Amino acid sequence: MGQTISEKVLSRVVGRPVHAGEIVHPVPELVTVHDWYVVNFDRALKEFGVTRLFDPDRVLISTDHEPVAVSPQSAERQKKVREIVARYGITQFYDVGRGGLGHLFPVEMGMIRPGMFVEAYDTHVTNFGAVGALAIPLVVEISEVLALGSVWLRVPETVRVNLHGSLPSGSSVRDVAQKLIADLGDELIDYSVVEFGGPGLAGIDIAGRHTLCNTPLEIGAKSALVEPDAVTLSYLASRVKDDIGLIASDTDAQFRAVIDYDLATIGPQVAIPPTPDRVRPVAEVVGTPIQHAFIGSCASGNLPDLADAARMLSGRTVHPNVRLYVTPATQEVAREAARTGLMEIFLAAGATITQAGCGPCAGGRIGGMADGETSINTGTRNDVGRLGGATGDIYLASPLTVAASAVSGAITDPRTLIIPESKA
Amino acid sequence: MNWRFRGRCWLFGDNLGIDGDIMPLRFALARETDPMVLRDHLMAGIDPEFPSKVAPGDIIVAGRRFGQGNPHIQGFLGIRGHSLGLLAESIPRGSFRNAINAGVPFLAPCEGITKLCQTGDELDVDFENGLFRNVTQNIERRYTPLEPELRAIIALGGWKEHVQKRLASAA
Repeated sequence: MGQTISEKVLSRVVGRPVHAGEIVHPVPELVTVHDWYVVNFDRALKEFGVTRLFDPDRVLISTDHEPVAVSPQSAERQKKVREIVARYGITQFYDVGRGGLGHLFPVEMGMIRPGMFVEAYDTHVTNFGAVGALAIPLVVEISEVLALGSVWLRVPETVRVNLHGSLPSGSSVRDVAQKLIADLGDELIDYSVVEFGGPGLAGIDIAGRHTLCNTPLEIGAKSALVEPDAVTLSYLASRVKDDIGLIASDTDAQFRAVIDYDLATIGPQVAIPPTPDRVRPVAEVVGTPIQHAFIGSCASGNLPDLADAARMLSGRTVHPNVRLYVTPATQEVAREAARTGLMEIFLAAGATITQAGCGPCAGGRIGGMADGETSINTGTRNDVGRLGGATGDIYLASPLTVAASAVSGAITDPRTLIIPESKA
Repeated sequence: MNWRFRGRCWLFGDNLGIDGDIMPLRFALARETDPMVLRDHLMAGIDPEFPSKVAPGDIIVAGRRFGQGNPHIQGFLGIRGHSLGLLAESIPRGSFRNAINAGVPFLAPCEGITKLCQTGDELDVDFENGLFRNVTQNIERRYTPLEPELRAIIALGGWKEHVQKRLASAA
């Protein structure tokens, strides 16, 4: 019987052929945990009497949810994280100014390869699927992995999504990623891995693939990944020293469903409050006044996302009623944005640039909203209070739509403003 | 562990949220994990009198996506605090793991289960073998039970006990 990519990855890791539905205890090749959970896993391990990790060399910690300590409490927490990292002998520690957002920089630095198996605390680790890795979030059970090297998993079924065609002008992969989860629905997606393939994929770069793999878990997917191809190989060639092998589902693999999805029909989309899958065409909310805007996050904080926003902001200024925050996801994205002149465009437009990491999306500790304000941003979720403030509406959209709205002071269809062509 | 429950049915609909419907969010934010504290607030968003009406051995029967939302464990610890069983048409992934980790005996998915009973019916459920019997309406169904490996975690009492056992056998 043929296998899906996920079945192949788990078979390799457990050392025998496995299929969807089986219970396995795979040992991950990398475990990632973020700054905010380090104190918690340390407390959990202490309660279990655990003083050593199963393999400290396989653990990666990133300071990304609150990279710049903005309060005495925050500085104390960062100090504790550094002490805990040293005590367990964790070697892959990317503190502020070193890596950036932990769902992206390990891909940039060539740590993630096609077919690799990763487990993590945080849900959006599914981004690693951008290069064909299987990365599964576990939340609190990550402590069991840190102590014992594994946790039970059910080998997941796969929903295969074949992309066709190419995106119309004014749309971006973010629009596809939002619309897709609304179209697929939680009943179909629950407990599955979403596997992307098809001819439309050739036109989507690795940054866009991060975005595709970021949204499905919002409706209950276990993970998401892209079938690696020539785009993957070319991206990884300068980043990974070892030989890179491709991996694909067999032609006779069993899928829960196979979906064909046409990119050419996707216009700009906005997720309306309070969940990311309440997706509407931008026309339905055009004119809604905003006070807060943000471009960044693990969904849309890569260089091409910033470049889209900069094209819209070039020669324009942010509306006087709006504050716009721009957060490059990683240190490398920030450096490239500086080198290629994007930072100059943001600053000239009156935007505020924050340290590489999650930016306002991590609970609004940095550049958050006040009560009753309205935000449009490229973050991952729009639950009430996600960006601080006990009340207020949060809309999610593409970098183009957010930048256009920040200029106008109200939600705006980016196609109604003139957008200079991409220089790339 | 006794896997056979004989008690009253408590029927609920689809899409009960783990936060709000099944358990007030404040207990998740406070990281409260004591089943005897949480039991007093079970189903607070649906029926505040629920904790005073149920008895150990009773069975919650729910529709699709029971426990949807941000996967906090507190609602399932509340179910455990009353020693209730659970049958659901479906449980999303995060809550499925939390039901096991809280040590709650359950069967899911149970296709069509909400059509087979009413609140107050007397049910007889064997969670080890997946046998459902509505004594009041004289209906029987067979559902796929949890794998022995997952039932073993429930039998131990939940995740903490399971990890402690793994650590002891690894030492």
